[in-house]
Amino acid sequence: MKTLIIEDERSLAREIKLFLEKAFYLCDSAYNVAEAKKLMIDNEYDFILLDLGLPDGDGLELLDETKKMCPSASYIILTARGDLEDRIKGLDLGADDYLPKPFSLLELQSRMQAITRRKSGNNDPVMELGDFSIDLNKRTVYFEEKEIELSRKEFDLLSYMILHKNRPLTRLQLSEHIWGNFSDDDYDSNFIDVHIKNIRKKMSALAPVDWLQTLRGIGYKIKI
Amino acid sequence: MKLLSKLTLFITLSKLLIVVLFVLLLPSLVGYVSFQYSNYYLRQQKQKVLSEIKQNGIDYYLQGDSAYASYTMLKEEYISILPAENEMVRDTIETSKRVVGGDTLTYRILTHELTGAPKNYILEIGKTTSTIGEYNNLLQRFTLYILIGLIALSIVVDLIYTNILIRPLTKIVKTKLLNRKFPFKEPLSPIKTSTTDFQILDRSLIDLMEKIHEAFDKEREFTSNASHELMTPISILQSNVENLMMEEDISDEMQDKISAMMRTLNRLKKIVNSLLYISRIENDQFAKSDTVNVHELITEMMEELSYRLETKSIQFTNTVSKNVKIRQVNHDLFFQMLYNLVNNAIRYNKENGTITLSDQYIRGKRYRLFIIDSGAGIKPEEMGTIFNRFKKSGKADSEGYGLGLSIVKSITLFLGFEIKVSSEYGKGTVFSIEIPQEKVEI
Repeated sequence: MKTLIIEDERSLAREIKLFLEKAFYLCDSAYNVAEAKKLMIDNEYDFILLDLGLPDGDGLELLDETKKMCPSASYIILTARGDLEDRIKGLDLGADDYLPKPFSLLELQSRMQAITRRKSGNNDPVMELGDFSIDLNKRTVYFEEKEIELSRKEFDLLSYMILHKNRPLTRLQLSEHIWGNFSDDDYDSNFIDVHIKNIRKKMSALAPVDWLQTLRGIGYKIKI
Repeated sequence: MKLLSKLTLFITLSKLLIVVLFVLLLPSLVGYVSFQYSNYYLRQQKQKVLSEIKQNGIDYYLQGDSAYASYTMLKEEYISILPAENEMVRDTIETSKRVVGGDTLTYRILTHELTGAPKNYILEIGKTTSTIGEYNNLLQRFTLYILIGLIALSIVVDLIYTNILIRPLTKIVKTKLLNRKFPFKEPLSPIKTSTTDFQILDRSLIDLMEKIHEAFDKEREFTSNASHELMTPISILQSNVENLMMEEDISDEMQDKISAMMRTLNRLKKIVNSLLYISRIENDQFAKSDTVNVHELITEMMEELSYRLETKSIQFTNTVSKNVKIRQVNHDLFFQMLYNLVNNAIRYNKENGTITLSDQYIRGKRYRLFIIDSGAGIKPEEMGTIFNRFKKSGKADSEGYGLGLSIVKSITLFLGFEIKVSSEYGKGTVFSIEIPQEKVEI
C-alpha cells in the first residue's frame, strides 16, 4: 500500500512514516502543498494522509483539487483544528475519514485498515489465531465450526489486538480505541482488564489462549 | 420590596400623617382664629360707636336717658352704655354671662370706659359665643374638605411623577440585571433618561458587562488557541512514544517507563481535549437542531456505561417518561451532559449503590431531569466550586481531572438549561436539570 503523508510538522511526519513502514506501507512525505502536488503527479497512492494547516495553502482546498488528480486514493484528514465545520467540510469533499490530533498511530492504522476493508468489499480472509478462527466481516470467532459468543466490545478489543499483533498495547491505547472520546483514563483501563478476563474465560474453556499475553503493569499483546 | 412600592407607601403615609395632624390641630386653630376675629370684630364695632359719639355726642345714644341698651332680634349681639360705677374699668375683652331680654347667654364682651362730662360711662359690646362656635364648625369642615381634596390631588401627582421618575431604573433592572445570562452575549443599548444618576448607573452597568464579556471572550479565545497550539506537539510526542514502545529489545524497566510516559501524555491530551471541547461549546460551534427522546438517549448511553455499573454492582433505574422529547438541542452535547453526570455518579458511588434517573413535569411550568446517586456526596464547602474547572472532590489524583462537571455546566448554559445540585455528604447527590418549557414535547 502506497501512502503519501502531507504534514508540515516534520517530526510528526517522520514518526507516522516510521510506524506505517513497520506495518508494511510504503510511504512518501510532503511538507507543503507544492511538494504534495509534485509527488501526486509522479505517483499513484492508495492512501493520502492530509494535514489541514499547511504553510503554503489550506488542506481543504488541496483536498478538493487532488480528489481529481488521485481519485482512487483514500483520504484521511489529520488536523489539530478539529472544528466540527472542518470535519463536515472535509467529509463532504470526499475524505474517507477524519482523525483529530493528537491521535494514536495505532488508531490511524486501524482506520486505514477499515477503509481498505470497506473498499475491497469486505473480503478479509478468515484469520487463524491459535486453534481459533476469526471472521472480521461477520464479526465472529469460531472454534472448530463452533461459534463463540463475544460481546461487541470484546470483539472490538480482540480484533484491534489482532490488527496490532506482536505489539505491546497499553490499556490506555486499548481503552481509547474502545471508548473513543468517552474513554476515561486509568478508570477505564481497569475495564480493559475485565474485558480481557472475559475473553480469556470464554475462549480458554475450549483451547489454550497462550497467544494472549499479559504485560505486567503495561497491557496486553497478541503473539502469533 | 420594590423601590416604587416603598415610595408609594411613604408618600401616602406621610400625607396621611399631615391630614391627621391637621385634623387634630384644626379645632384649636380655628378656635384661635375665630377668637381673634371676634375680638377684631368687637373692636371694629367699638370704633364705630366711638366715632358716632364723637360726631353726635353721647346723647345720640342716651336720648336723655341715663343708660342705653340695644340688642339684635335673636340676641346674638348687644350694646349697652351704662353710667360708670366708682371703680375704674379697664379696656378689656372677656367672656362672661349676661342677661339680655330675659335670657342668660354667654357673650364675648368688650368693655370700654367712656370718659366725659358730666360723668363716665361704660360701653359694652357683646357677641354670643355660640355664633362664634357656629362659624368654627363651618370653617373647620370647609378647611378639612379642601385639605383632603388637595392632599388627594398631591398624592396622585406625586405617584404619577415618582412612577415616571423611577421608570428608567425599573427598565435598567429589567433589561440589565434580571434574566441576564452569563456571559452577556447580546449587545446592550443605553436607556433613555434625563436623570443623571440613572444615566451613570446604566452606563456603568453596560461598561461592566461589556468588560466581563470581553474578558470572557479573551479567555475563550486563549483557551481555544492554546489548546490548538498544544495539539501538534502532543501529537508528535504521542507518536514518538508509541513508536518507542514498539522497538524490539526494550527492557521491562524501559517498557514500564514508556508506559508511564504514555499515561502522563494521555492525561495531558485529555485536559487539552476537554478545554477545547468547552471552548467549542462556548464558541457556539454546535448546532441546536436535534430532537432527542430522553428515555431512549439514556438507554443508548447505558450501553456504554453498563460495564462500569456491573463492576461496582450498582443498581441503575431509569424512570424517565418514555414519551418526553426535547427539541432544539444538540444530541451529542445532551448525551455528553448526561454521560458525564452518570459517569460521575458511578465513579463516586459505593459497591452495591444505586443510581436513579427520573423526571418531573408540571404542565405549563417546568420539566426537570434528576440524576440521583447513593455515592460519596459533596462536602458543603465544596458545593460552590464543583462546576469550576480543575476542581474535584478530594480523591486520588488518578480519578479524572476535574473537567467533567465544567463540561456539563458549559453544555447546560449553551442549551439554555439550568443545573442545580443538592447533596448530603456521605449519603449521595442529586443533580437536577431544568429544561425550559418551550423545548419540551410530550
